[in-house]
Amino acid sequence: MPENQGFRRNFKKFSKPKPNIIVEDSPVLNAFQAYRAELDAKHDRHERIVKLSRDITIESKRIIFHLHSIESNKNNRQKVLQEAEQRLQKLININFKAVAKELHGQDPYQFRSAYSPGLQEFIEAYSFYEYFKWSDNEKQGLSDWHTIQKQMQYSDEVEVEIEKKQESLEEPATLAEAVNTPPNEEVKVLEPVKFEFFMDPTEYVLGISDLTGELMRRCVNSLGCGETNECVETCKALQNLYTCYISLRVQRCRELSRKVYTMRQSVIKAENVCYNVKVRGGEAAKWGSVFDNKPGDDIDEGFF
Amino acid sequence: MSNFVNMDVFANYQKYIDNEQEIRENIRTVVREIEQLAKESTIQLQIIHCDLKKIDYACAEARKQILACAESYQKLAALIPNGQYYRYSDHWTYITQKCVFLIALVVYLEAGFLVTRETVAEMLSLKTNHAEGFHLDIEDYLHGILQLASELSRFATNSVTMGDYDRPLNISHFLADVNSGFRLLNLKNDGLRKRFDALKYDVKKIEEVVYDISIRGLRSTAEGDGTEKDKND
Repeated sequence: MPENQGFRRNFKKFSKPKPNIIVEDSPVLNAFQAYRAELDAKHDRHERIVKLSRDITIESKRIIFHLHSIESNKNNRQKVLQEAEQRLQKLININFKAVAKELHGQDPYQFRSAYSPGLQEFIEAYSFYEYFKWSDNEKQGLSDWHTIQKQMQYSDEVEVEIEKKQESLEEPATLAEAVNTPPNEEVKVLEPVKFEFFMDPTEYVLGISDLTGELMRRCVNSLGCGETNECVETCKALQNLYTCYISLRVQRCRELSRKVYTMRQSVIKAENVCYNVKVRGGEAAKWGSVFDNKPGDDIDEGFF
Repeated sequence: MSNFVNMDVFANYQKYIDNEQEIRENIRTVVREIEQLAKESTIQLQIIHCDLKKIDYACAEARKQILACAESYQKLAALIPNGQYYRYSDHWTYITQKCVFLIALVVYLEAGFLVTRETVAEMLSLKTNHAEGFHLDIEDYLHGILQLASELSRFATNSVTMGDYDRPLNISHFLADVNSGFRLLNLKNDGLRKRFDALKYDVKKIEEVVYDISIRGLRSTAEGDGTEKDKND
């Protein structure tokens, strides 16, 4: 056990007083050494995915923050959207690819708790971006999970030995490549391996529900900038989303019912903003909402 | 003005969830079957605490139930779509741990050694590797073994009451083995770790029993065997 010196010392110290020190090659210890290897591999993979997920969370939060900086009097809309798109693409192409690589050949549900915060935050950022896109041209609304899933298809060059390749000769897809490879059997070649990041519909729905918090924030912020049209628009989108969520019948998902509850509060806040706009006009409503809601403090119900 | 949110997305999600719900209900039916079988064999095995002569009989009966469990596990395996074991696994982890415990107890009573994960998996007609299909999760196996420890510490007390003074020593060696096996593992701070932390109380309990009978010289029948071994180490 060279990789675990400290533990070994402990072990000796504690077991010494006992009359029966177990010999190294006892079957029980051998079996447990194998179990240890398996458990360690599992924990390590879990930790690696958690790290990757955390990076995704941070970057997604920054993208959301960036999107909030869109203001009509600054004329920065196109520029901000462009940058947000680039950063989202980068997350898909680099960060999610790394997670997908870790999960390749694994049961994605086993490590769900490791990557779910990052994924939900990403979906939130992605859909928030899409919201701005939609209010530009109204052609394409919110993507569903299949659409996002389609963007998370990857392939990678992996060294594969020729012998294995020849077994798969029957498949027409690999035939063309097999013909090109040299006849020498011991040469290793690079072969594209396809894999994808698995998008769980439940994670998608939970991620979208976080979007409502951002829309509400957007609604309140627009009021501050005097963009009353934006308030009405976000409020409509919120009401729309809320209707969709209360139409769902989902058992066993406490997380979702908690989120729907928060969503209702966001909807009510946005509706109050619109109400104030209507009865008092844009200027006066600003004061009312600042005192009532304290925007920015307790709104984010994200993970951190 | 078109809507940003398309209701169809949520209608599709509802379908997806309904589908999942149906699978879960089917799983629950099968799991209930296994629970019933496991309960029956647990009852059979309670006899070890009051009648030592019936141990062999109880083991044979328990094995029958375990065999029936294996059939139900095959049914369960057929219900789970490929690569979604951990999506539904919370339905059967508890009962699987129980089955591991029962098998480990039967094997210990019959042969006196710790059953391996491979053997348990084979007896329940499960795989050991998740890539091969419906498998026995390593943590479930370890949980089951820890349950065995607390049952054996109870058994040690009762076997003394019934006049069998050799058995506690035997159990003590066995548990020491299991204990040092578990110490090899790098356990994360999770449920398994918590359960493992309780193992030391079982070990302590059994050592007290061994001490009690040794100090009173009750272990006369096995004197030669036991003490010789101790001195050698």
